[in-house]
Amino acid sequence: MSSFAIGLIGMGALLILLVLRVPVAFAMFAVGFAGIAILNSPNAAMSLLASESFTLASSAELVVGPLYILMGNHATETGMSRRLYDAAYAVIGSIRGGLASATVIGCGGFAALSGSSVASALTMGRVSLAEMDRFDYDPRLSTGVVAAGGTLGILIPPSTGFVIYAILTQESIGRLFLAGVLPGLLLLTMFVLTVSLLCHINPKLGPAGPRTTLAEKARAMTGATPILLVIVLTIGGIYGGLFSPVEAAAVGAGLVILIGILMRRLTPRVFWNAAKSSVVTTATVMLILIAAHMMNPFLALSQIPQEFGAFLADLSLPPLAVLALILAAYLVLGCFLEGFAMLVLSLPIFIPVIHQLGIDPIWFGVLVVLTLEMGLISPPVGVNVFIVKSVAPGVPLGRIFAGVMPFWLAMLVTLVILMLFPDIALLLPNTMIG
Amino acid sequence: MLSGLDSFAGRLIGLSALVGTIGLTVAVAVILADVVGRSLGSPIQGAQDISQMAMVILVFGGMALCDRVGGHVSVDIFEKFMPPAMIRAGDILSALLGAVIFLGIAWTVWESAALSRMLNLSTNIINLPKAWFQYAMIAMSLITALGMLLRAASLTLGQSLTRETARS
Repeated sequence: MSSFAIGLIGMGALLILLVLRVPVAFAMFAVGFAGIAILNSPNAAMSLLASESFTLASSAELVVGPLYILMGNHATETGMSRRLYDAAYAVIGSIRGGLASATVIGCGGFAALSGSSVASALTMGRVSLAEMDRFDYDPRLSTGVVAAGGTLGILIPPSTGFVIYAILTQESIGRLFLAGVLPGLLLLTMFVLTVSLLCHINPKLGPAGPRTTLAEKARAMTGATPILLVIVLTIGGIYGGLFSPVEAAAVGAGLVILIGILMRRLTPRVFWNAAKSSVVTTATVMLILIAAHMMNPFLALSQIPQEFGAFLADLSLPPLAVLALILAAYLVLGCFLEGFAMLVLSLPIFIPVIHQLGIDPIWFGVLVVLTLEMGLISPPVGVNVFIVKSVAPGVPLGRIFAGVMPFWLAMLVTLVILMLFPDIALLLPNTMIG
Repeated sequence: MLSGLDSFAGRLIGLSALVGTIGLTVAVAVILADVVGRSLGSPIQGAQDISQMAMVILVFGGMALCDRVGGHVSVDIFEKFMPPAMIRAGDILSALLGAVIFLGIAWTVWESAALSRMLNLSTNIINLPKAWFQYAMIAMSLITALGMLLRAASLTLGQSLTRETARS
């Protein structure tokens, strides 16, 4: 049997396990391990199991995740996030879906802080879902907006997606970061418009709150000042060169704990609950990431991504049509693969085709990163959806996917706009760098 | 007998989660102290080494509790179309598969730790022996596997065991 056929059987087995409600991480572990054992050797699979588990669990870059989770949990447990959303609600809560729009804007701000979609979805989920629930938002809208808003993390710079793309294609990281700014803002605007449209069609999704007086607005803003200061300090610290993202996360967590103590809201019990919850969420996320790194070598061995690439290159179609097909392939692969691994597997095949067709690789990079974002919320294994599920265990996964779909469509519209108007991505890098 | 074993496993899982929580606290404290120390001209040597190894402890320390509280993410879209027996079979399969995975991690990391000891592998700056953390990872993986095996046994025998919440 060919490697490709074994790969297809593996994908089928993965789907069957997922349908049987086997946890996503376990299913990916099992299929990845078995696939590597068959296509390479059992020893290779065993060796990878040990190395990936320890390497990922001790990754310096991934330390940022639990620290932001801890920050979000403490902000929630001590009531700081509630004050933040009280302030947001006081300002824009009187419009339909105002809190969901505030969540999108918060995700955008957090994206500029963390550069990680998973961290964005986790932290904003921790902070915002309970608040939207308190204001009677439909769980489809509240969970959908967090899962989709979290994806802004890899489009709005600093973005780990662009760094990996730059390394693989030898393009300029600076140009890619600049190219992500306007598309990131465009996508953020599209999400806010989507919230408004959804709430216009069905007002029960995100009820409008009562109008507040200027004095109430000022009081709510004052209440949110401590957490706003934490955000300003951590974001300012990164852009001012004071902290790395990991350090900013630790400073943020430390400040939130300190403020909680000063406000006399942080008891040992509250600290323990927040820390324990952070450890459990970290374990959930990390096991999925480790499993994804077991699955990807199997796919590489099976040649599935390479076959996709070769097929597209062989078609005699106009450049824009080939580009659309490549992006469609990314959308399909994104349903099953961890985004960065997908880049590593596919770019060596697609980039020569892109150069051959005369397509700007910076523009292509922005489009690819946007499709990776869409993969993060695509069924059946959209990572951000599962992240939101881990934060909101009471909401069925089907409902979260249903809530995500309008935002997925908004991303598709944004993708088409960016394909038709490359200057949206290229304007800043071309004018500022040349 | 099963409930007695479960009670014992519950204590081990609690201990594992406590160790994970300590790992998280250490990571935050060390990075914070490093930032403050650096601004005063005396950063903490090896802060990154400590935070990375604390991360290993916190990630695997939380695995057993994650399973105990039903924290693993699964696709429940098709659940309403499935008969109860199929759902139960899927739950037993999940628990057994999880146990095999964590036993596999424990076994392969055990061999890897032996290699780390033989080659004296350590972290880059302050030379923390990697084997220490690999052994901790093994112990916590075994606790996770024990919890999963007990769940598989209870589901097979039709007995219900304790189901905690992450906040209890």
